[in-house]
Amino acid sequence: MTMKFALFPGCVLDGAAAEAYTSLKKTCEKLDIEITEIPNWTCCGASHAQGINDLAALAVNARNISIAENMGLDIMTVCNTCTLQLRTAKKRLDENKALREKVNGILKESGHPYEYKGTSKITHFLWVLDDHPELLDGKIVRPLSSLKVAGYYGCHILRPQDVMNHGDGKHPEYLERLIRKLGAEAVWFSASRKCCGFHAQLAAEHDVLTVTGQIVDSADKAGANAIVTPCPLCQMQLDMYEPEGRSAVKSQAEVPILHLQQLVGFALGLSREEVGFNRHVSAQEKLKLD
Amino acid sequence: MDVKLRIHRFVEGKKWVQEYTVGVTTGMTVLEALTAVKEKQDPTLSFTCSCRSSICGACAVRVNGNAELACEMLIENLVKRYDTDVLTIQPLGNFKVIRDLIVDWDPKYARLKKIKPTVNPKPDFNAEDGCRQSPADFDKYKLYAGCILCGSCVSECNKNTLNQKDFLDPFIFVKAEKLVADSRDRSPEEHLKAVVDAGLWRCFNCQECTAKCPKGLDPAGAIEKLKAATFRYNLADNVGARHAKAIYDDISESGTLDETRLNIKSEGFLMAGLRAPMALRLMHAGKMNPLDSHPVNPEIDTIRKIVKNAESAAKEGE
Repeated sequence: MTMKFALFPGCVLDGAAAEAYTSLKKTCEKLDIEITEIPNWTCCGASHAQGINDLAALAVNARNISIAENMGLDIMTVCNTCTLQLRTAKKRLDENKALREKVNGILKESGHPYEYKGTSKITHFLWVLDDHPELLDGKIVRPLSSLKVAGYYGCHILRPQDVMNHGDGKHPEYLERLIRKLGAEAVWFSASRKCCGFHAQLAAEHDVLTVTGQIVDSADKAGANAIVTPCPLCQMQLDMYEPEGRSAVKSQAEVPILHLQQLVGFALGLSREEVGFNRHVSAQEKLKLD
Repeated sequence: MDVKLRIHRFVEGKKWVQEYTVGVTTGMTVLEALTAVKEKQDPTLSFTCSCRSSICGACAVRVNGNAELACEMLIENLVKRYDTDVLTIQPLGNFKVIRDLIVDWDPKYARLKKIKPTVNPKPDFNAEDGCRQSPADFDKYKLYAGCILCGSCVSECNKNTLNQKDFLDPFIFVKAEKLVADSRDRSPEEHLKAVVDAGLWRCFNCQECTAKCPKGLDPAGAIEKLKAATFRYNLADNVGARHAKAIYDDISESGTLDETRLNIKSEGFLMAGLRAPMALRLMHAGKMNPLDSHPVNPEIDTIRKIVKNAESAAKEGE
């Protein structure tokens, strides 16, 4: 049976990480997952808006979720931070009636046609595949047996645990499980749980470039041919700033950084062009798939 | 069941990992296992503990890379989580180690002093009548009054791991927010200015502190509240604050982030101009086109009203 989701793409999938969107659409087609973009969604606040005005950030996400509720669908995202922002809003609204009424009052007063009801679940593409490994059965036409893949979760899909409660956030294993399901070897690397620093790139630049270099160097030293991540923000940080990261930690490591849906798409038979690998900044030529 | 504890030892400058096998019974805590080692196998093993009730905060250690209160964490739960009968126990991260699992709090107290960590009472309070406070005002910071100073929140803090010199420990931000939100304090901006100077906006937002706090205090949330307060007190003139504000404003301007202009809004033309090599790299990869016009959400009027009405409602609630 076809699975259906309202897709919350998030800002970078419409911009610098557009390849994450094209590869998602093609991969979902192969997996028989039907995704419909939430019409006229707005930015989730990108983990910053609540630090300016918490209630405004909450109301904006209540609007996003209410549109999906009106579509009668659960929400799927492919960005860790979007997932955290939306799920945090949902948890607060579901658990606090007074707050829900206040936010619904704001939506109504502003002319938004739907109230927040709490009827749509919010999940991530990686969680869907972990919950439904059968989606991949019989569809892996190009087992990735030649690849050693370092799984890089990113922070916001794991923490805080009361909001992001898929598996044990202190010892997650589901990304490695998926990598192995695709036929690749899941490589453990020492920097696998470090934060990429994306959200502090401007405010703590030296430290962020250092940790970018540490993560890529650590995966390289562990023998990984590629790093895969379920978060486009982590992907952008590690891919776009890989050269600066190398300089910061005096490393020679060049490792391709893949969006999760690209790796899945490759295993399902999509080509480099179809998953938009030509739009990566670093180490395109290093990925040997055939 | 036997469990092997691999304990990181440190005595007078010498480091090594020592293995102990402990017979574990149902309900045995990490602290009880450490005590069993000390009493029956090796009296030289050193660690701190006191209340055994998750209140004093003295026994926090790292188990398999994650900070835990030794007196409340059951060995059986760790064996289940990590699917192993070998557990690695280390002192908390981002602390100077004195001996074995004992860490030095003196440098942390010195850092705590940076935020002027006491209430400056308003002039209407005095020794005779005290500092009366309504339950509603107490509720604004009571969560943060529950900090037990165990140090778990900083153990895996990504920013502190990279560089502690221009940032504070999460429990210090918690203490700062407790003071800023305390209606009895006459000068919240003094604490706020101190935390801004000490690195508030350099937080990575990795949520490790919130994940590790055994009391559920959400230090990362306290940091966000401090950030919001810096806007109310006109202390938000730095690149981190401008970046956050630019993202927030984009929601009202177009509905989504305008990536090509975000850095200019955050850093100004001059600094953003120095990033030209990166911009060229992104343009070459097809990730950025400065000539593209950023689309505006068809429902932008409603979105602007939502933001504006929420801001008004938030102000009424202050």
